Amino acid sequence: MRTNYRVHSGVNFRMFSQDQLEELLLGVLHVLEYTGLEVHHEESRDILKKAGAWVDGKRVRLPSYMVKRSLEMAPRSFTLFARDGDRKHDIHIGPGRAHFGPGPTCPNFIDVETLERRPYVKSDVPLVAKVVDALPNIDFCESLGTVGDVHYDLGALYEFAGMFPNTSKPIVAWSYDQFDSAGIHKIAVTEAGGQEAFEKRPNYVHYCEPLSPLVSTFEALDKLVFAARNRIPLVFTPCPIAGGTAPVTAAGIITQAAAESWMGLTVAQAIQPGLPFIMGGVLSVMDMNSMILAYGAPELPLMMAGLTELAHYAGLPLWQTGGCTDSKTFDEQAIIEGSLSVYFSALTGGDLTHDVGYTESAMTGSVFQLAAMDEAIGYARRITRGIEVNEDTLAVDVIHHVGPNGHYLREPHTRRYYKTEFWYPNLCDRRNFEEWDMMGRTTMKDRAIARVQDILAAHQPSPLKPETEKVIREVLEEAEDRVKQDAWQNRPRAE
Amino acid sequence: MSEILEQISTVVIEGDLDEIVDLTEDALDDGLTAQEILDSALMAGMDHVGVEFKAGNMFVPEVLRSARTMQMAMDILKPLLAESGVEMVGKVLLGTVKGDLHDIGKNLVGMMCEGAGFEVKDIGKDVAPEAFIEAIKDFEPDIVGMSALLTTTMRVMEHTIKALEEAGLRDRVKVMIGGAPVTQAFADQIGADGYASNAASAADLAKRFAGAA
Repeated sequence: MRTNYRVHSGVNFRMFSQDQLEELLLGVLHVLEYTGLEVHHEESRDILKKAGAWVDGKRVRLPSYMVKRSLEMAPRSFTLFARDGDRKHDIHIGPGRAHFGPGPTCPNFIDVETLERRPYVKSDVPLVAKVVDALPNIDFCESLGTVGDVHYDLGALYEFAGMFPNTSKPIVAWSYDQFDSAGIHKIAVTEAGGQEAFEKRPNYVHYCEPLSPLVSTFEALDKLVFAARNRIPLVFTPCPIAGGTAPVTAAGIITQAAAESWMGLTVAQAIQPGLPFIMGGVLSVMDMNSMILAYGAPELPLMMAGLTELAHYAGLPLWQTGGCTDSKTFDEQAIIEGSLSVYFSALTGGDLTHDVGYTESAMTGSVFQLAAMDEAIGYARRITRGIEVNEDTLAVDVIHHVGPNGHYLREPHTRRYYKTEFWYPNLCDRRNFEEWDMMGRTTMKDRAIARVQDILAAHQPSPLKPETEKVIREVLEEAEDRVKQDAWQNRPRAE
Repeated sequence: MSEILEQISTVVIEGDLDEIVDLTEDALDDGLTAQEILDSALMAGMDHVGVEFKAGNMFVPEVLRSARTMQMAMDILKPLLAESGVEMVGKVLLGTVKGDLHDIGKNLVGMMCEGAGFEVKDIGKDVAPEAFIEAIKDFEPDIVGMSALLTTTMRVMEHTIKALEEAGLRDRVKVMIGGAPVTQAFADQIGADGYASNAASAADLAKRFAGAA
């Protein structure tokens, strides 16, 4: 029996003090109240105005009580469910839990056969989803690409239609507009067993992206309104670039990104109080020489850690970023940048960490980078799990029993713990030189490729319900018909 | 080179906004022509900046500051150059196409082109094909630059090029395009004259089109 005993479970990581967090929070509220955002969506402006916002043309400013109330309404903890009821694939969002998955919309892909970079196509989607389904440390699915070989307005629909049957892990669904969103939702709801069943056990998250600096775009809000009305958990994530579309300082970009995301939060909570809302922001620097948004810069994990702490302080989960690289190939740079950022994401407990498997600064998706990062995440998770201290793990009795000159290999204590205390690598090689030599002197890259190819040859994701298969075909047919109509093609897309 | 031309060149490289106006006026008072100041001081300075940038010794904010410095001198020299019938390197019209609000890359291209000595008109973002046509008629550029970030708006570049053809303006301008998902293959496919993968190479491409490099 222990009394007044304090336990640190896992590794403690904290960047900001309470005072710093409060200062950041007040900075965000100040921006929303005194500067405001341009909101390019009439319905959202009306909703905000009714809820107490000051609307002046397209410029919307939010009194801070409105934002605070929205923060309070949004839940910190909720569950995203595996579509097939496999509890191992559920994601419990809450304090101290970091989850990982790929990102969306890379124009290019590393071909799994030729290993060459080429445009991303429809047939890549099921492969990515299968690899996600099989990798033990990848928790949710995105496709790592924009489907380029279908009608240009239907990429997102084909993407979801390709992912959903090939993984039961929750999907984060990106889309172009509310038409895509409606098709995606129809598919997911069918599998869940109806809208009510979906609301109880949501099996996907809806992804919206506003524009920096300080613009809530028409598409982002149109999709948000759809998601909020249908009670679909929501990611609302800007992508500001420090020094370009956001202040150059880390504190400045964090403040701006939070303001951009919380405009979405406020609209969403006004429509659907209590809607699970995942605060966003992919934050990094504009490389002042190459002019790219750097996905491998140390400032990315650093700024993301800051944004994560602010989100958690405000009571929201965060759409974290990690496992990505600026490298063009599977090399040392890719592994350094990817591994350090996933380790940092794990330390911060960033709730859904995406963009795992991005290479070439988000221009090319790679399942090989994804597989290597699965290993890095496993490694990071072992560290962040920390050291358990109790009478049994302290092992004073075992030490006494074995005594000087003994060994621990035969001890029940060893048998009891060796599987949980130790992490076992899938890709890292620990054999001695002779064995490594005999086994063909493989590199990390060779083993990552072999792992992906093994998964693609052998892994069987759990099947969809037959009625969902049917709905997928119908949704795609309807969409193909829709895009042929001139009236739809010429619809108003923005304000 | 005269001492004052060298000073102006240095001030451009250093991006010294406080010195450039006085020095340019002094140079004119000394009897140097606008053409001499442009070629031997301003462009010489910007050429040096370009080399240093490519070598990784100068960074975007410094390059933009140098370009701004040069523009302040150009404000003084432009009327004089026009009087003596001297042509600028060329005129560049820029816009982000209809439906797209992402314009940080296009803004960078504008600043880089100014630094390369072009007269730049930026007609903003979400620019409809008709607005490009209006602006071409009005501004008479040598080069039209279009940008898009989204795969959905990329194809509006093609519509815009078609609209230029229909308006009979296509042969009067060189069209260059850029933006994250844009490639050389896409540029070839839609009949653009050129593609650049970043702002610095866009300025180089504009110079090639203008016959200045």
